[in-house]
Amino acid sequence: MKKNFLSKVTGLALVGTLAVSGLTACGSSASSSDVASTGEDAVEASSEAAGFRTLDEIKESGTINIGVFSDKSPFGFVDENGEYAGYDVYFAERIGQDLGVEINYVSTEAANRIEYLQTGKVDIILANFTVTEERAQEVDFALPYMNVALGVVSPDSAVVESLDDIGADDQIIVISGTTAETYLTKNYPDIKLQKYDAYAEAKTAFENGNGVAWANDNTEVIAFSLENEGYTVGIPSLGDQDTIAPAVTKGNETLLNWLNEEIETLGAENFFHAVYEATLLDTYGADYEDTLVLEGGK
Amino acid sequence: MDKDILIEYLPLYKDALFLTLKIGWQGIFLAFLIGLIGSAILHFKVRVLKSIVGVYIEIFRNTPLLVQLFFIYFALPKVGIQITAESCGVLGLGLLGGAYMIETFRSGVEAIPVIQTESAASLGMNQFQILWYVILPQAISISVPGLLANVIFLLKETSVFSTISLMDLMFTAKDLIGMYAKTIECLFLLVVFYLIMLLPISIIGAVVERRMRYGQFGD
Amino acid sequence: MASLGIDVLFKGTNFLRLLQGLWVSIEISLISVVLSILLGLIVGVLMTINNKILHAILKVYLETVRIMPQMVLLFIVYFGTTRVFGWDMSAEASAIFVFTFWGTAEMGDLVRGSIKSIPVIQFESALALGMDKIQTYFYIILPQTVRRLIPLSINLITRMIKTTSLVMMIGIVEVLKVAQQIIEANRKVSPNAAFGVFLVVFLLYFIVCWPISRLATYLEKRWA
Repeated sequence: MKKNFLSKVTGLALVGTLAVSGLTACGSSASSSDVASTGEDAVEASSEAAGFRTLDEIKESGTINIGVFSDKSPFGFVDENGEYAGYDVYFAERIGQDLGVEINYVSTEAANRIEYLQTGKVDIILANFTVTEERAQEVDFALPYMNVALGVVSPDSAVVESLDDIGADDQIIVISGTTAETYLTKNYPDIKLQKYDAYAEAKTAFENGNGVAWANDNTEVIAFSLENEGYTVGIPSLGDQDTIAPAVTKGNETLLNWLNEEIETLGAENFFHAVYEATLLDTYGADYEDTLVLEGGK
Repeated sequence: MDKDILIEYLPLYKDALFLTLKIGWQGIFLAFLIGLIGSAILHFKVRVLKSIVGVYIEIFRNTPLLVQLFFIYFALPKVGIQITAESCGVLGLGLLGGAYMIETFRSGVEAIPVIQTESAASLGMNQFQILWYVILPQAISISVPGLLANVIFLLKETSVFSTISLMDLMFTAKDLIGMYAKTIECLFLLVVFYLIMLLPISIIGAVVERRMRYGQFGD
Repeated sequence: MASLGIDVLFKGTNFLRLLQGLWVSIEISLISVVLSILLGLIVGVLMTINNKILHAILKVYLETVRIMPQMVLLFIVYFGTTRVFGWDMSAEASAIFVFTFWGTAEMGDLVRGSIKSIPVIQFESALALGMDKIQTYFYIILPQTVRRLIPLSINLITRMIKTTSLVMMIGIVEVLKVAQQIIEANRKVSPNAAFGVFLVVFLLYFIVCWPISRLATYLEKRWA
């Protein structure tokens, strides 16, 4: 969580030089004309320019940057001692162990996940990332490790059982950059969405009664209704059955292949069932174990 | 950069601009009112109220708008005070802006020589008349550059509204980037729309300030 | 108080983490302020030089800073530069860059103002004594402007600290993000934690910024 001193110093030195160069070309980094002119030729080059680190480079550096949620209990969150924890994090820890490197966790928001990979700011995204066609054009997904669909949770007092019941003035809470947002925008363009950046914000707003329902991954809404009294998942499954998988920067084949092998190997030892029992059992009970967990990518 | 994408996103940014302006102006109007009332209270040294205004200024000038909004929007409902996102935006902007407007008006009022107040009093005007006919008209015109600077500052601050689910310009950009990852186009439009919104005000501000300087010179 | 969720802060290292988060914000602002003052002095001097091209460039720079919200600049630098130029800046470096970019403009403008307020006769006297331009600035003008600038730059520190609340948006785990994490981790046992935790964050910001801005006001009055 804390950056080490060395990286801070190098960061500073970088900033110093940048600031000076920024000044000599005063205002260049932010003026609109500049963005416009450099934008065009940069588009094709962006994947190269952004860059990613190959498996060997990661091993050599001794640290891997993994993007996880820091406010999405029980999948990725920070416990009261400041340690990252949850289903995704458990898997991340294993990756670090098998690669023999330290892990630098990067706290992401849903809407930033593609961005973080494309700009090479993280090596792997392990933030409950649902595999979709649109996203697969932007990043490379490894084998999946969890099943997911969309779900809608609402207060017991006014359970939403069908999206057709949503009134013209009612708002549904979604998190920006999630599959729920894309699905509702595409299939129910008339429903008003109330969008938040972070899980913590969305949940607090939902508890505060700012929307009639909250649409998200069904894993997440089921967890919410089980953990908090007074809420029911009126629509347990919406849209397609999808999967959740780790993602790497597009074209990073060495890392992708390693991840796929890792997931297959872990399948042999029923690793993800163990992860479920360690992290999700408290929330979901044993009933959901087989529906949620995907072992060995199948 | 892809022209089709720019054209496709344009209406979304336009809506966002209107929302930003709508909440922005309501908030600024509220800030203006708070500024007038607050500076009048300080001017007349109204007991008790004077201290309240003082505390209010210190609190809102020394905390970030984002934290103020989080508190109003996410925390207050826990103790039973429920506000919609839009009103929260207006209220947050108004309260923050008010603290700055009071200071701006006050420096405007202080710029007017005491002799004018005394002359007005000797002409038989009461305190309120002095304020309304003598001090305020001058104070407001002296404060115009400061007020315009505040307006730009407050409209810029609207960029944090995205965190309380208001679809302002910043949010639209972030949201579209999150969904379709067309970063360059989204950021380009974002910059263009902020320019459309704020450049005219900034230019007016510069012109007014120059005029005022000539005005003072001719005095 | 239990129902208001302040108790969550005493669990584990929660409160300590909140303070660490606050320190992240303060650190970023302090580094940026120091850089802004140094670069601002240069930019301020440049602004007083009569050169049309230089003048136009600086004008665009100042106007950009005046108009663009810091959050927009943060996004452009953090995500945009990697896309366009392939620079991989960490979130902290981007934040410091943006705050310095902004602070330098503000400081530059203040420096220009205070240089202009120094009577022309001082320049002329220095020249008459045989000093060259650089010596004049270094020994005569800058020492005088610095004193006027100190209260103003202290003010800039509080504004920077307040603006650091935005860096959460580019993934820096600072005080607000820690607050959200605490609320999230304790949602089950303490559903009202949002009130207590956000209240404390609000107060923390105030406790940090208020004394600094009082100091600035005090110095401004004393040295005016």
